Amino acid sequence: MIEVLVQLLEGSILNNWILSTAWFWPSLEIFHFIGLSLLLGSMLIIDIRLAGFVRRMNVMATHRLLPLAGVGFFINLATGMLFFIGDPARYAVNIGFQIKMLLILIAGLNALWFALKISPVIVSWDTHGDTPFLAKVTAYISLIAWIGVLLLGRLIPYVGSG
Amino acid sequence: MFEWLEYSILSIWVGESLWGYPIMLSIHVIGLAIVVGIFTVFNFRILGLFESIEYIAFVDFFKLAWFGLILNASSGFALFSSQATIFVTNTPFLVKISAISLGSILAFFIQSRLRVYAHDWDSQISKPSKKDLWFARTSLFLWVSAIFGGRLIAYYL
Repeated sequence: MIEVLVQLLEGSILNNWILSTAWFWPSLEIFHFIGLSLLLGSMLIIDIRLAGFVRRMNVMATHRLLPLAGVGFFINLATGMLFFIGDPARYAVNIGFQIKMLLILIAGLNALWFALKISPVIVSWDTHGDTPFLAKVTAYISLIAWIGVLLLGRLIPYVGSG
Repeated sequence: MFEWLEYSILSIWVGESLWGYPIMLSIHVIGLAIVVGIFTVFNFRILGLFESIEYIAFVDFFKLAWFGLILNASSGFALFSSQATIFVTNTPFLVKISAISLGSILAFFIQSRLRVYAHDWDSQISKPSKKDLWFARTSLFLWVSAIFGGRLIAYYL
């Protein structure tokens, strides 16, 4: 199935355009790095508070940063898809890329769990107090997953096909 | 001097071992996200976003940002030393280093003002001044410039 997708993408107009436009790939990299800074910066602050640290920050205020994390995520989803379309054969079989996608999935499910189970009850917490055990677990999973995503992204050029 | 650096033990490990370079790159990207991420959120806060986040909390988060900067200075030095003579003539690298130097000095001033005024800003006794707003805009510009430079280094080698 993945071979079909790779072949389909490699013959696409977008693939040809990305490869034949010299400035496009470096521009994508710049936006991908800006996106990752926005995403990780906001997630760090959200998760550190959710893990029970920096209690002089109102835990409700972590909600305010979710849109910024979302903006970072979508910049990187868009630029990431363009990377993939530009060089599908390399990414599809790359073990670093595959684990990175798995970690994004884990981070996504963890975020869904946060949205459904934790976010609605934050109002009942002490705004400047400790956080419940499950919230801490969610925070650590998120931090580990996103840091893993960054590490594996950087290792893609150095690891082979799995 | 740069030639001597290229032949040091560190630079040879980074340049020639299988994992030296990618390990340093990985540390470098984590540090980048911490530094740029936290300073960006703070600058946006000064410029009027996320109003329910207390300024005082950033006194703590800035410590993490400085830790990120140390990660990046050390991993960056290791990466630099492996190809020192090439990097010193690379224009995007010079842009990046200038932006980071200025950005760090500015961050130091921003932090000193934050430590003095955070309480007043949080209790609405006063608001960030025009100077603080310009510091925030300049800081955003410098960190984005650093990313621009950094990403373009490989294309000018």
